[in-house]
Amino acid sequence: MNNRNYNIYFHTHTISGIIVAAMLYVIFFAGSFSFFKDEISTWQSGKSAKEVKNKGLPYQLLLDSLDAKYNLAGRDINFYLYPNTSHCYVNMAASKDTLHNAKAKEQAYVGYDFAERKEKSYAESYDMGEFLYRLHFLAQLNQAIPLRIGYPVGYLIAGLVAFLFLFALITGLLLHWNKLVSNFFLFRPWSKWKTMWTDLHTVLGVIGFPFQFVFALTGVILIVNTVFLAPFSQLLYKGNMEKVFQDLEYAAAAEATFVGKPLTFTPNIQEYIDRTQKKWPNAFFNRVTIKNYGDESMLLAIESEADRQHSFAGTGQITYEIKTGKILMNRSPYDTPTYIAYVKSFIYRLHFGDYGGYFVKLVNFILGLGGCVVIISGILIWLVARDKNNVASHKKKFNFWLSNIFLAVCLTMFPVTAFSFILIKSIGQVNQSLIYQIYFYSWLVISLYYLIRRNLRRTNLETLFLGGVFALLVPIASGVFSGNWLWRTWARHATDILLIDLLWISLGLLALFAFARIRKQQAISAI
Amino acid sequence: MPANKKYLTSSPWQRWMKITAGFFGGYGVMITFFLMLACFFEKKNVIVTGAVTGYVLWALLLLFAFLSKSWWKPWIIYLALSLIFLLPYLLK
Repeated sequence: MNNRNYNIYFHTHTISGIIVAAMLYVIFFAGSFSFFKDEISTWQSGKSAKEVKNKGLPYQLLLDSLDAKYNLAGRDINFYLYPNTSHCYVNMAASKDTLHNAKAKEQAYVGYDFAERKEKSYAESYDMGEFLYRLHFLAQLNQAIPLRIGYPVGYLIAGLVAFLFLFALITGLLLHWNKLVSNFFLFRPWSKWKTMWTDLHTVLGVIGFPFQFVFALTGVILIVNTVFLAPFSQLLYKGNMEKVFQDLEYAAAAEATFVGKPLTFTPNIQEYIDRTQKKWPNAFFNRVTIKNYGDESMLLAIESEADRQHSFAGTGQITYEIKTGKILMNRSPYDTPTYIAYVKSFIYRLHFGDYGGYFVKLVNFILGLGGCVVIISGILIWLVARDKNNVASHKKKFNFWLSNIFLAVCLTMFPVTAFSFILIKSIGQVNQSLIYQIYFYSWLVISLYYLIRRNLRRTNLETLFLGGVFALLVPIASGVFSGNWLWRTWARHATDILLIDLLWISLGLLALFAFARIRKQQAISAI
Repeated sequence: MPANKKYLTSSPWQRWMKITAGFFGGYGVMITFFLMLACFFEKKNVIVTGAVTGYVLWALLLLFAFLSKSWWKPWIIYLALSLIFLLPYLLK
């Protein structure tokens, strides 16, 4: 490799890396926990997914009660459902039937919990799983910076971070290309600090490369696919984004022209749902769309995902004309998937890590936290490599100032997350704003403390200790406040709750072990 | 250990031109490239393929701009490529 290129890879890698470092750490840390989003939710509620009596969404019951409240005549209604949860959302658009419907102009968007059979708003059903999941694409920034620039600010920043991360991965790989094999087994943990950070960064970076590359790429696609799609929708679809989404099999392609003649009978949606479910056993219905409710033109479109044990990528759609009961469109999720379904499924399955049970998720979780280590060691290399006599003192000051902020914000995430788990469990009934307050205020306080403390080694050591202790307290909190002691959840096969407790115990032990090792090392070097 | 400065762009103006060429020019080349493919193949398949591979292509184009020795070449090349890729769409 010629010297010029090498130095350019080096420099662009450094700059893109240091720009995204702190944000990327937050994304990686929260993202690693998000693999267990559903398990964290069940941990918090204390009821294992298997123990919740879940007979599925009672469509007819819900529609009847919504009809009484909002008058559904002439409306388009969308049901949004998610796997492994009993919470769904219903969107009711303005009615086209201004003649028969007095509430035609009103619109509504409600949350509904079908295990508890009651309306439950998004904020009420918000939990720690949802919080960490949304934190991993910086959704909370949307609310903190309500700037309108065509796209939510948090998502835009997350997208930019993911893109620069992709860039840093490519330059990083090129940078190490020549020494990829020879340096692979090079790890000199107890030599100079800088050597250690460098080895850690390189070895973990290289081992984790395929994993990180996949997440950088699928991450960019999932968070800002508009950046790619927008020009195509303008140039090839005359600006009709809905048509693009229909082509990409994101939305049911069901169009109905409102005629204004009410149906002579009350449509039985439940019967259609049951019939379809029988046709496609174990398929998950993720979106149910009703067009022009109660009108002669009324359509029902059911979109589904195949049982992932039988089909990796299958997605299905069926559209019924309610007046005649005719099937207008039928694509089974168990047919051979289209190319588009394959590509999309590939992106989703890889990013969510939900294709191989707990094993795959755990591997992803470990590699994700490994990514956190790569980021921290990267920041430290950046600092140590510039801590030389020939570097101007104002630059040195800036470098330290920046590293201090980065480490104070990043490393405190571990104790703050464990602490929030404990506090939320002890309070019991929490909602969105309370979770925000607990997490963000404790994060703010503890980061400010380490910011003022200005001692990187202490920040590292103390957050490891604090995090380790809090982590070990998480399963105890679970036992004390909801009776879910390890042996009880083990005995009643509540694997999802048990898993979260075991995860925290492992993290706690690992952190305390690292803490002890560093202390010992310091004692030796002090002599 | 920081990168050797003698190989890096020292002028802020030139650096800015390279960054913008790589970011905006690279985006233009990437989008028009798939737009060209969409003229010859099933457009929805091209779009979904581009949505996956496009970002890697874009990141590489950003890197190529940095590797260039002059500050105007990346802009000229990327603009020219975008125009060429745009032709099939415009002629259709």
